Amino acid sequence: MAYRITVDTGGTFTDVVVCTADGRLAVGKAMTDSERSFVGMRNALDAAAAELGVDSATILRQAEILIFGTTRATNAIVTRTVAKTAFLTTSGFPDVLVLKEGGKFDPHDFSQPYPEPYVPRRATFEIDERVDAEGGIVTPLDEDAARRLLAEIGAQGYQAVAVCLVWCVANPVHEVRLGELIAEVLPDVPFTLSHQLIPIIREYRRASTTAIDASLKPLMKRYLEDLARDIRDAGFTGELFVSTSMGGCMRIETLAENPVHSVKSGPAMAPVAGRIYGAETGVNGDILVCDAGGTTFDVGLVRQGDLVLTRDTWLGRQWVGDLISMSTVDVRSVGAGGGSIAWVDSGGLLQVGPQSAGSSPGPACYGAGGTLPTVTDAALVLGYMDPELFVGGRMRLDQDAAMRVIAELAAALDMTPEAAAYGILLVTNELMIKAIHEITVMEGINPRESMIVAGGGAAGLNIFPIAKELGCEKVLLPETASVLSACGMQFADIVSEASESFVTTSRDFHRDRVNAILAGLRDKLDRFGAPLMGAGRTAEIRFSVEARYQFQVWDLEVALPADRFADDADLARLVETFHAVHERVFAVRDEQSVVEFLNWKARLTVGLEHPAVVRGDGRGGSVRPVGVRRSYFGNGATVEASIYRGDRLSSGSVVHGPAVIEVPTTTIVVYPGMAVRVSETGGFMMEDAAPAVGRRGAI
Amino acid sequence: MSLDSAAAEQDGRTTDPEPLDSVQMAVMANRLDGIVREMSNTLLRAGRSAVISSARDFSCAIITADNHLLSSAEGLPGHIFGAQLMAAAMTDLHTDIAEGDAFLHNDPYIGNTHPADHGTLVPVFVDGEHLFTVCAKAHQADIGNSIPTTYFVAAKDIYEEGALIFPCVRIQRDYQTIQDIVRMCRARIRVPEQWHGDFLAGVGAARIGERRLKDFCRKYGKDTVRRFITQWFDYSERRMMHAVRQMPKVALENSGAHDPFDPILPTGVALNIKIAIDPESATIDVDLRDNPDCVPCGLNVSEASAASAVLNGIFNCLESNIPHNAGSFRRVRIAYRDNCVLGRPKFPHSCSVSTTNIADRLVNMTQSAFAKIGKGFGIAEGGCGLGVGMAVISGKDRRRGDRYVNRLMATTNGGPASACCDGWVSFAIPVIAGLMYRDSVEIDELKYPIHIKSMRLTPGTGGAGEFRGAPNQEIVYGPRFDTLTAVIPCDGQTFAAKGVAGGHDGTLGASFHIDRDGNETKLPNITTVHVEAGEWLRGRDTSGGGYGDPLDRCPEKLRHDVLEHWETVERAAQIYGVVFQGRPDDDGFAVDAQATRDRRDALRRDRSV
Repeated sequence: MAYRITVDTGGTFTDVVVCTADGRLAVGKAMTDSERSFVGMRNALDAAAAELGVDSATILRQAEILIFGTTRATNAIVTRTVAKTAFLTTSGFPDVLVLKEGGKFDPHDFSQPYPEPYVPRRATFEIDERVDAEGGIVTPLDEDAARRLLAEIGAQGYQAVAVCLVWCVANPVHEVRLGELIAEVLPDVPFTLSHQLIPIIREYRRASTTAIDASLKPLMKRYLEDLARDIRDAGFTGELFVSTSMGGCMRIETLAENPVHSVKSGPAMAPVAGRIYGAETGVNGDILVCDAGGTTFDVGLVRQGDLVLTRDTWLGRQWVGDLISMSTVDVRSVGAGGGSIAWVDSGGLLQVGPQSAGSSPGPACYGAGGTLPTVTDAALVLGYMDPELFVGGRMRLDQDAAMRVIAELAAALDMTPEAAAYGILLVTNELMIKAIHEITVMEGINPRESMIVAGGGAAGLNIFPIAKELGCEKVLLPETASVLSACGMQFADIVSEASESFVTTSRDFHRDRVNAILAGLRDKLDRFGAPLMGAGRTAEIRFSVEARYQFQVWDLEVALPADRFADDADLARLVETFHAVHERVFAVRDEQSVVEFLNWKARLTVGLEHPAVVRGDGRGGSVRPVGVRRSYFGNGATVEASIYRGDRLSSGSVVHGPAVIEVPTTTIVVYPGMAVRVSETGGFMMEDAAPAVGRRGAI
Repeated sequence: MSLDSAAAEQDGRTTDPEPLDSVQMAVMANRLDGIVREMSNTLLRAGRSAVISSARDFSCAIITADNHLLSSAEGLPGHIFGAQLMAAAMTDLHTDIAEGDAFLHNDPYIGNTHPADHGTLVPVFVDGEHLFTVCAKAHQADIGNSIPTTYFVAAKDIYEEGALIFPCVRIQRDYQTIQDIVRMCRARIRVPEQWHGDFLAGVGAARIGERRLKDFCRKYGKDTVRRFITQWFDYSERRMMHAVRQMPKVALENSGAHDPFDPILPTGVALNIKIAIDPESATIDVDLRDNPDCVPCGLNVSEASAASAVLNGIFNCLESNIPHNAGSFRRVRIAYRDNCVLGRPKFPHSCSVSTTNIADRLVNMTQSAFAKIGKGFGIAEGGCGLGVGMAVISGKDRRRGDRYVNRLMATTNGGPASACCDGWVSFAIPVIAGLMYRDSVEIDELKYPIHIKSMRLTPGTGGAGEFRGAPNQEIVYGPRFDTLTAVIPCDGQTFAAKGVAGGHDGTLGASFHIDRDGNETKLPNITTVHVEAGEWLRGRDTSGGGYGDPLDRCPEKLRHDVLEHWETVERAAQIYGVVFQGRPDDDGFAVDAQATRDRRDALRRDRSV
C-alpha cells in the first residue's frame, strides 16, 4: 500500500499528515526538535500511524512520496544565524541594501531605529563595471581588481557570496564572469548571481533576494543533506520533496541550489489546502484562506482557482524588513492571535495588540506567569473554551487567572468582565477584517462574492462573525483545520518558475524578441521538468507578464493569451486583458494609454497524484449536545450554549447557535442566530440560520 | 485653519446621553481608517507620475459635511491637515452640490496647499443628504507652469508661475466628466497622458471613498454615524489633552531661516515661531505672526501648508498614534497674519513651493522648539532641501522620440535624532519624513535617458550627539544623449539642520556641475541648469541634527558606527571622545574603556575652560 506523507515543521509543533491509498487522512502532532527535525517528524508520524493502526516504520517504507516543510531558513534569517556573506555590487552603489526602496510607517514616530542592512556595510564590496539600460557596456569589468578582491574575501573568512550588478538583467556578462572568477578563486564558497536567481528590474529587490539566498546556502545544504539521510536511513525509498513559498514543492537537491524558495514556505501551503477544500464544496469563485495561530493571522487568496502570488514578501515589517521578491504565494499577516494583549489607551479606547504574550509567558490562563489580558483569556471568560480540553486536553487552563486579568481591564472600561471580554473579541475581529480587506482590496476582490476557508488552532473562535461582517456567506472550517499547511502539502505539485526581463510596449511591440524569450523560458522549464515526469504525471507551463500603463511605477501580473504571439490580434488580446485587470484592481481603465511590459514569466507545474477528499465517511453517532455551558455573546446577559463533540456529529448535521463544537485540536463557536452544518467531508460550514425546516439532521 | 474656539474650552467629554461604547468606537474608527487606506492604495498604485507612485506625494481624507477633518490615514503629513479648508471652499462656492459631482481644486488662496496639488473633492450623499466630503489630493508631475517644474521658486507672482488654477471647479456632474476641463488641462499640461492618468486615479480614489462611506452609513445608520463622529472627535481631543498634560507650562520661542535666493532674497528668509504650552487648559498656542511679509517669489507658504507644518512638528513630539483629526486639532490654536510669508499669503503672491522649503523649516522649528523644554522632549532638525537628487528633470528621450518631465526621488537628506533614537536614514525632507518610496536606479534609467554614476551615503556626516542625525548622501548623474534641464529648488546649503540639547548641527548640502573635462562648478542652491551629454550633476544632500551631548553616546554604539561606516575613527575620537584598540578591519577592534573615559574627561575640561 502506498502512502503519502507530508510534514510541516513549525517553531513549536511538527505536524504530519499521512494519506492512505484509499484517501484517508491521518494527522499527527508532536513537539519540534530544534536540533534534529527528523525527531519531531518521527514522533508526529508515530501519532498519525497510531491513528491508522500501522507502525510508522511500515508507513515510511511503503510511502511513495514525502514532502517536507521547514522553517529552518526563515528562523536562520530572523535570528541572523546565516552564513557570513559578502555582497558584491556595482561601483558607486554600495548602499543598495541600506536604502532599500524607502517607505516607513507613521511619519511622526521618531523612536524606531533605522533597520540594519541584511548584509553589513563592511561586508559590501564595489566592483568596477557598469552596463546601461540597453545592455551596453559602459565600464568593462576590471577582472584583476575582482580577483584581488575575491582573494581578500576568502582571506576574511566569508562563507558565501551574493552578486547583484546594476542592469545585469539587460546584459549578464559581468555577473557571469564574476561567477567564473568566484568558482576559480574561492572554489568552496557557494555564491548566487542575481540574474540567474531573479532576473527582474529594480536593483534593491534583486539584491536583497540574492543576498538572502546566498546567505542560506551553507546551512541549508547541510540541513537538507542531514534530513535526507535521516529519512532514507529510516527506510524511506520514495521521492523526497521540500515545500516552497511558490505554493508547490521541489526536489531536495534543487532547493539546496536556491534555498530562498523555502523561506515562508509554511504559510504558503495553507492557501493550497484552501483551494482544494473550496473546490470540493463546488465553489468556483474566489477563496480567502485564513490561518489563525497563536500570534498571527495569515490571509491568502485563491482567485478563480489560481493561487494569488506576489513579488513583495517581507521578512519583518513591510519597507523596513528584508524583501524577498521571488514570486511567492501572497500571504498577509497581521499580529493578532490568541496571545494578543488587550489594553486601554489614554483616551479610554479598548485596543488589542500589537503586543503579544506569545507562548511564553503566554495568556494569563496558561498559568506560566502571564499577567496581562489576552484574546485567549477573553475566550475562556466568555465560556467559549473548555479549560480541560485545550490542545486536546494536554494543557489545563486557569479559568480564575483569566477572569482576574479580564476583570481588571473591565474595571478600566467601566464594563462587566464578560462585556469587556466580548469587546476584546470584537476588536480582534476588526484587526482580522482589516487584514482580509488589505489583500482583497489590493486584488480588487469582493469578499461578499468569495468563500472563506479557515484553519489554524484559533480560527473557530471568531471566523464566523468575521465572515458575517464581511458579508461573506460561504465559510468552511475543514476537519483538518488545525494542520492546514501540512494538509496543503498533500495537494502540492512540483512548481518551478523561470523569468526574463525585457521592456517593450504595446506601441512598438518587439514580437520576435518576445517570442524568442517565451520559447527560451519554455525550453528551460521543459529541461527542468523532464526528469521529474513520472508515470501518469502531467506538466503544464503557463506564461504571464508584469505590465503597467506607461509612466506607472507599479505593475500588475497578467496571463498571456498564448505561449507565442502569432499576430497583432494576440497582442490586442493581451492589452485587453491588462485593461480588464487594471480596472478590476483600480476601478479605472485607460484605453488611450500605452501599456509597458517588463518581466516575462513562465510557471511550470508537474502534477503529482493527489488524495481524493473523502466524502461521507458514514460517521454516525449522536447529534445531541454533550452538555451546556454559560456563555456570553453580548447584549448584557449570559446564555446557555450547547456543547457538542465534533467527532460525534454526522455529515449533514446542523448545529444552531448559541453552541460550541469541540474537536480535539480546536473549538468552533456558533454564535446566536448562526448555524453550522457538518459538510460531507467532515468540515464545518456556516449555514444560513433560517429555521432549519426539513433539513436532514437539523437539531 | 478653522479652529472652533468654543469647542476648545470643552474638556473633551461627550455629552451624548447614550454614548457608544469603547468597542463600537474602536470598530467604527477602524472602518473609517480602512476606507481612507483603500482610497490611498488606489491613488498610489494607479497613479502615473513618479511624484505620486514613488514619492507618495498624495493624500486622501474624509471630511464631515460641516468641514471638519475626520480621517486621514497614511498620507503625507504635510498634505492633509488642510483638507477641511478645501472642502469648505466647495461648500462656500457652490450652492447646487449634488450627488455625482466632483470638484477639482488647486487654488492655494482658498484652502489648497500649492497649485501642483490637484485635489479631487467628492461630496458624499446618503439618502439625499450631504454627510461627508472625500478628498484625494496628489502632486502632479506638471501643471502647465511657464517652466517645466512644479516648484517654481523664482516666480514673482502667480502670473509668472503660470499654472492653470482651478478654484474648486466642478469636473464631474452626475458621475460624468466635464470634458471641457480635461481638454483645458490636456491643452496646457506637459505630457498630458501622464496628467490624465493621475486625474483618473484621483477620481477613482474619491469614488471608492464615496462608495465605502455609503456602505458605512447603511451598516450603522446615519444617527449612529453622527454620534460616532461627535464622540470620535471628543476621544481624539482627550488623547491630545492627555499628551499636552505630560508637558510643563512653558512659553517657547524658536527661530530658523531659509537659505538666500539671489538676487531676490540675499540674506534668506528669517523665521520665528512662538509656542505656549498650557497643561492646565491642555492647549498649545502657536504664533506665526512675527514673520516677514510675503516674498516676491514662489516660497510663500499657504495657510494649509503652514497649518500642516506646525501640526506635523507638534505631532512629531507627542506620543504616537493620536488620531489626526479636528478633535485633536482643537487643542492647537495657530495665529496667522495676513500677507505673511508663513500663513495667509495675499493674491497674487506665488505659493509654488509652499509645501516644502519654508514649510520644512517650519516643521523643524516647531519640533526643535520642544527640545528647549528639556532633555527627553522634542527632536532635532531634519535635513532639508530638494537637491540634485530631487530635481525636476526634463528633455527629449531619443530612444523613444518622446519628451519627459518628472521629479527624481533619489535624495537622502538625513533624518533628525530624537531623545531615544538615531536619525532615519531614508528621510528625504521633514514634510515627507521617510514616507516616500525611493527611485530605483534601473527604473530611472529606463524611464529617462540619464545615467546615474553613483549614489552613496557619506560616512561621518550625521549631526553628532548622544543620538546622531542620519548622514547625507551624494549622487552623480547626467544625460546620455540630449540636453537635460534640471530645475533645483534647494535649501539647506547655507543654514544647516540644527542639533538640540547639546547635539551638533547637520552638514550643509551643495550642488555642482561637472563639465566634460571634469571641472566642477558650484551651482546656486536654487537654479535651473542645462546639462549636456558627457557632463554631470553632483549633489550632496544635507544631514540631520543630533540630540544630546556626543560625549554621552554609548561607546559600543560608536564601535558599531565605525565598523559600519556611519562614523570615522577620527570623529569618534575628536567629537565623541571614544578611543579604540585595534583597527576596524581587525578582529580585535574594541572600545578602549579607560582611554575613552580619559579622553571624554579631557574634552569636558576643555569645554569648561
